[in-house]
Amino acid sequence: MRLHEVATCQSGDKGDMVNVVVFPNDDETWELLRERLTVDVVREHFGELVRGDVRRYEFRGLQALNFVMDEALGGGVSISLRTDPHGKSYRSLMGELDITPLLEGVGKEHANHAGD
Amino acid sequence: MSAAIGSGSIGEGDRIGPGVALAESGLVRYMGFDCLAERTLALAEARRVEDEATGQDERMGEFVERYLGFLGSGGKMVGNFGAANPDAAVADAVTALRGAGLSGTPVGVVRGDDVIDAVLEHDVYLPERGCTARAEKARIVSAHAYIGADTIVHLLDEGARLVIGGRIADASVFVGPICHELGWALDDWDRVAVATLAGHLLEGGAGRTLDAYPMAVVSDDGVEITRQPGTGPVPVDSVKRAVAHEVHDPATYLTPDVVADFTDVVATQAAPDRVRFTGARGAPKPESYKVLVALDLGWKLVAEISLGGHGCVDRARATEGLMRRFLEPFASDIDEMRFDIHGVNALFGAQHGGGTPADVRLRMAVRCPSREAVDAVTFEANQMWLSGGGGLTRTVERAIGVTPALLPRTHVPLETEVVVA
Repeated sequence: MRLHEVATCQSGDKGDMVNVVVFPNDDETWELLRERLTVDVVREHFGELVRGDVRRYEFRGLQALNFVMDEALGGGVSISLRTDPHGKSYRSLMGELDITPLLEGVGKEHANHAGD
Repeated sequence: MSAAIGSGSIGEGDRIGPGVALAESGLVRYMGFDCLAERTLALAEARRVEDEATGQDERMGEFVERYLGFLGSGGKMVGNFGAANPDAAVADAVTALRGAGLSGTPVGVVRGDDVIDAVLEHDVYLPERGCTARAEKARIVSAHAYIGADTIVHLLDEGARLVIGGRIADASVFVGPICHELGWALDDWDRVAVATLAGHLLEGGAGRTLDAYPMAVVSDDGVEITRQPGTGPVPVDSVKRAVAHEVHDPATYLTPDVVADFTDVVATQAAPDRVRFTGARGAPKPESYKVLVALDLGWKLVAEISLGGHGCVDRARATEGLMRRFLEPFASDIDEMRFDIHGVNALFGAQHGGGTPADVRLRMAVRCPSREAVDAVTFEANQMWLSGGGGLTRTVERAIGVTPALLPRTHVPLETEVVVA
């Protein structure tokens, strides 16, 4: 299962930095992604595209995760030689993230909670 | 008590018509206009260097002409139409106002956001470049501070009906009118944060459709984003996303007016065409202005050619190898070079792909320090024909880079004046 099936993503740029925001479609997905969509998962997904730090922030009220990635646009909009210097397309790449591994044990965990 | 303000533009080259329709609906007393993108000012400055009567938003006169009905009925407009030359924008506006019989209209101008001298005098650090400004002196094209709502409020208090500045921060073109209208003090941080949330939502495109632009209704109860009746629903699920637009840490969103905290902002569907936002908080504004320094980094060539059918990806890769060989003699004149294959890896590199496209487009992008060097490389790019592909294009443009810096407020004296048209 891909992230875009359970969440909406958007991206924006500032200089050589890009932020990709993930808005889960419902409360349950929000709790799951909040716990499991970590910086490490996202860093691995973007791989060579992001040369700098990846940080994660929470919009608690809106229930959204914000991933801020440094050195991700080939030097920034104005000097980048990239086809998409704004990183507008990064939201689509985030949407392609395979969340099947993140869902592992979800059913079981719920069963455990039920038994608590 | 509430303030209603419409969005007339949220970037360079935005369409004018939808904002005019909103302004003429009678629902707003103010219209805010953000007309600048990160690189707009550097390009405007390049125009000003060629001709000192230019460097403003070239559509200033057109904006005034299209909004004559709104201005004539007491509406007020605030925008960063000045770009690299606010006085040139004022001259255009005055000409347009007089031509339309609106002589006597007070036009406010903000000067002082051009900080190229201060950046060099105080030799500010450029973190992304890893050096200070003087080390880049020969390359610096322009430097502008992101200025805030304070001068706007002052000019509106003085009676200005049209306020024109240069690098007024995107949200501040809305924050100024809101605080002026509601009488909110500019050190009432929670309130300034609410006004900033409204400006941030509007400049982030919240509630826009192709044909209708949004407005914000702001009060102590929060911010409502809506549009004029008959322009369709304003759904919370899409509108709320604008809160996160270009924000990094939501707890410390830095603007010239306030350090806003959007962490606990909540969005609710107040009506089918109204979304209410509450929960913004504020802390004292930063001591320094953010500055964007524009650097002349030479010239950039983009050359592309299309290949299709069986083995097109392999042929594109082979052509890349050929071009790399042809460009070897120019290595010392090339600052940066990259190849992409549209349809395969142009957007996501090796991180996402697969499948066999019917056709691909090989793209070669090269940055050179001088016009002579880029011309030589552009000539060589003609050899991409050897790929057997078609549709070769070659585009050369100046490579103007922008890089951020910080400048203490005390080094950025701003000046305002009301000019009577």
